Amino acid sequence: MTTAAVARVARLHLVDRFSYTWLVWGVLAFTFAVNLAIFAVIPTRPPEGYYTGALITIYIFMAVIGVQAATRFLPFALTLGVSRRTYYVGTVALVVGLCLIYAAALTALWGLEGLTDGWWLDVHFFRVPWVLDGPWPQVWFTNFVLLSMVFLFGLWSGLIYRRYALIGSVAFYAAITLVVLVAALLITWRQAWPRVWQFLVELNMLDASLLVAAVGVIIALGGFLTIRRITV
Amino acid sequence: MKRVLEAASWFYPNWNAELAADLVEEFELPMNRPVKKVSRGMHSAVGIVIGLASRAQITLFDEPYLGLDAVARQVFYDRLLADYSEHPRTVLLSTHLIDEVANLLEHVVVINRGRIVVDAAADDLRGRALTISGRASAVDEFTAHRHVLARQGIGSLASATVAGPLDDVARARAREMNLQVEPVSLQEFVVRTAADSASTDVADRISA
Repeated sequence: MTTAAVARVARLHLVDRFSYTWLVWGVLAFTFAVNLAIFAVIPTRPPEGYYTGALITIYIFMAVIGVQAATRFLPFALTLGVSRRTYYVGTVALVVGLCLIYAAALTALWGLEGLTDGWWLDVHFFRVPWVLDGPWPQVWFTNFVLLSMVFLFGLWSGLIYRRYALIGSVAFYAAITLVVLVAALLITWRQAWPRVWQFLVELNMLDASLLVAAVGVIIALGGFLTIRRITV
Repeated sequence: MKRVLEAASWFYPNWNAELAADLVEEFELPMNRPVKKVSRGMHSAVGIVIGLASRAQITLFDEPYLGLDAVARQVFYDRLLADYSEHPRTVLLSTHLIDEVANLLEHVVVINRGRIVVDAAADDLRGRALTISGRASAVDEFTAHRHVLARQGIGSLASATVAGPLDDVARARAREMNLQVEPVSLQEFVVRTAADSASTDVADRISA
């Protein structure tokens, strides 16, 4: 697996420029415009300003693109003699790179929103309290980690579906649910809920982002193991 | 379709764009149509264009003719042979249409139920099986001590496919007995061998 081979896979994905540009940013722009329009026509402005969770659209679309990328060009890449692993590494490399750029764009918009006092309407679209709050490098990092994480999760889900079909996918989501359930039961059993809350309250966003990044790495490894022997 | 060929060209150092363009014209491929919207045959043809234009050291064609009409298949065979003779390389072709490619092959591997039943140079296979036909009694006498792959009879006439080769003495004897000896086509040979491959003995004898 050479760097050149990985780069070729990344380039292969970019043949589909539509998904990575217009789909993601077009939908976000549309959501943003709708939000602004609604807030603009509301007659009385609440003193704390407007809050909206609409930024989640770009995260949802990143997950969707992840599912797509899982197998979109895989059959074609395999006929061109690319190995499954090279395909996976190329795909992840491309999207993690794109996530850096996207996160930078989100952070720039975040800064602009601050400068313009929420687009002169006191709207918090890119400034999500607690999560996207702090110095800009941290906001960039959080955005990057979250975007990459949802993409990698989408990618893994797509691969699981392709390799183990519907039953495998159901088992996959059931397993995730079980892990959460077991964790919750353990915490309850050890009567550790107060300590967990304490931990979450004291957790700053940088540490939280690092935690998410660790989960992202685990997910990426899971995807890497799943793409082996996948049939196309 | 344009982008497919463009993308394929990144993956092969020996990619020949002229050859690709030439083949596209010969197969009359609509380059501006999305790949998902072309017929099965056109899809196969794109695969053939990539396979030939890649000029890769090893090229695998896995039933490349799916959905291709007879004319296009002939185009493929002709271009494959022409490009191969100019730029020799290893081409592995899997096919069910044996007679169509019989003249292209250098080495033949026949797989039946997951087992290799024939693995030999194509030249060696010619004459490996022969059809003996004539009077039923004469055919039976001639083939009595030979390995018979298949036997068919109509009234007093019969024809039997036997594993070759036949030496000159045997051929002379067949002539004396008024029997006709003809080499079987590769396809017929494969069909007979596959039917007979239950006996491993034959497989061993046929593998070179």
